[in-house]
Amino acid sequence: MLGRQHIERVAEYVWEIPKTFRDDMRVPARLYADEGLLDAALDDNSILQLVNTTTLPGVTRHAIAMPDIHQGYGFPIGGVVATCLPSGVISPGGVGYDINCGVRLLVSLVQVEEIKPHLEDVAHRLYANCPSGVGSCGHLRLSETELDRVLQDGSRWLLDNGYALREDLERTEEFGRISGADPTFVSDRARERGRNQLGTLGAGNHFIEVDRVAEVFDEATAARLGIYQNNVAVQIHCGSRGLGHQICQEYVSRFQKAVRDYGIELPDRELVCAPFDSKDGQEYFCAMACAANFAFANRQLLAHMIRRSFDEILTGKVRDFELYQVYDIAHNMAKIEEHETSGRAVPVCVHRKGATRAFGPGSTVLPNDLRDLGQPVLIPGSMGTASYVLIGTKQAMQETFGSTCHGAGRLMSRAKARKIVRGTQLRQDLTNRGILICAGSMSGLAEEAPIAYKDVSQVVEVVHKLGIGRKLARLEPIAVIKG
Amino acid sequence: MSFQEIEHTADRAFRVTGRNMADLLENAARAIQAVNGPRTMGKASGTREIQVEGVDRESLLVNWLNEILYLEQAHQLACEQFEIVELKNDHLRARVETRSCGQDHTHIKAVTFHNLEIRESPEGLEAEIVVDV
Repeated sequence: MLGRQHIERVAEYVWEIPKTFRDDMRVPARLYADEGLLDAALDDNSILQLVNTTTLPGVTRHAIAMPDIHQGYGFPIGGVVATCLPSGVISPGGVGYDINCGVRLLVSLVQVEEIKPHLEDVAHRLYANCPSGVGSCGHLRLSETELDRVLQDGSRWLLDNGYALREDLERTEEFGRISGADPTFVSDRARERGRNQLGTLGAGNHFIEVDRVAEVFDEATAARLGIYQNNVAVQIHCGSRGLGHQICQEYVSRFQKAVRDYGIELPDRELVCAPFDSKDGQEYFCAMACAANFAFANRQLLAHMIRRSFDEILTGKVRDFELYQVYDIAHNMAKIEEHETSGRAVPVCVHRKGATRAFGPGSTVLPNDLRDLGQPVLIPGSMGTASYVLIGTKQAMQETFGSTCHGAGRLMSRAKARKIVRGTQLRQDLTNRGILICAGSMSGLAEEAPIAYKDVSQVVEVVHKLGIGRKLARLEPIAVIKG
Repeated sequence: MSFQEIEHTADRAFRVTGRNMADLLENAARAIQAVNGPRTMGKASGTREIQVEGVDRESLLVNWLNEILYLEQAHQLACEQFEIVELKNDHLRARVETRSCGQDHTHIKAVTFHNLEIRESPEGLEAEIVVDV
């Protein structure tokens, strides 16, 4: 049993479980949290799951947990693990079933007060135009060839077909396209599940949210990103849908045998992995990149549908309601990046499972207009609470493989949330607070109640004080479309 | 009860029991249907045979349950009756009765291997299964 007595304080907000805790650990486990968030993490198995990730072959420096850490399956949610290339492993469970689940933020120049009289119509149109639910289908039916293009080119296919602005791609992690995607390694079943799901939200904690920019912490930087106080913003939170789920399932299942073949011993079968440079590792990476591209394209098509919904409702009634993209980030992904280890830059495979890339100023992978600022980082809160826009930092590059937190982090099980919260009552409470809710499932709504989550402001405060993400703006919801 | 939901912070989990492996597999399938939540049901659409491979009985269990989810999410077919007709260490064959179902707000994305172990129990066998939602 892992307890507080096994955890050493390294610095303010930095905690470590040393390698000596367990014989199979290859590196220490490091947790970023204040006292309260550390106690919350000790309430479930999340820190034990973090320790388990230190056993992955090739893992370097530390296995890292962000302040929003909570129990997942295999990896904890809020985990960052880098393995040295070429022979370190890649783990499908370290990415998760919703490959490239992520967040996109759009902003407009219109003030919230101007669209308020039309907000109910906007919310209902968003709900109609952006299908939700695990198995839901979108408006676009892709041919085999078109699906191949989406898997290879991500958002670029949508740009070529009139569903994106060039600026949207500039403001998307990896410009909306991960290289290395090869549809040959995507099964017929995964294709079948994905073909009709482009432009759909999914279920669980996925959402579209209309927000008000409630507070700006750095006006000059925020203005460079088009973020102004009291203006309307829209967040999209979703991923690669059934296509990603199927790809992860198939490779986790296949790697059950692969780990035996490679002689890899692990404390949890969900951590199965293969050396990155092996046939198994390469094929998973090619398939994962396809799912990642599908997810970028999915959020892009949803952004298109959101713009269309705004057009349909607001044209002739409100001016300047056009939506500009601030950024689009992934928070479930394995990426090939260069990071400093022992004083020199080396290629590593960074698994971010419920963690966000947060590259600082000077990063050459950012578009020219963001290079002096750093990368925008999007931290959605729980339903009905604040969300944050941060900016990546040099400190994050040094400390956390250019990573930061991804959200509030769950505190309470879904079963318990359903027991103590009634979906219909929650919807009424939120409506009374001026937040419109459109949701297909009342039990799903209850599971996502704010009481089931940590305080996102506390999480963000820790990463801000640590310097692994700098606060830029706070958003508050005015309408939520739930999957 | 042959299955019971247990606490899990982010996702959902349940403990399932069975007199033997075939019984465990059938009960786990029922549990998956229950956890997936209510949805609109259409007409009975006949019997279907499912075949699953795995490296051991845990992987047979996960692959079997994922097959049921696949039928529902890709073909909108909810499985209602389950009968394991052939069971080996690395292979199973089952017959399921299916019914068309709606594209509703079902929950489960996938069944995981997290800490999965099929153990002896007073009822025969038991397993704790975590699903991603």
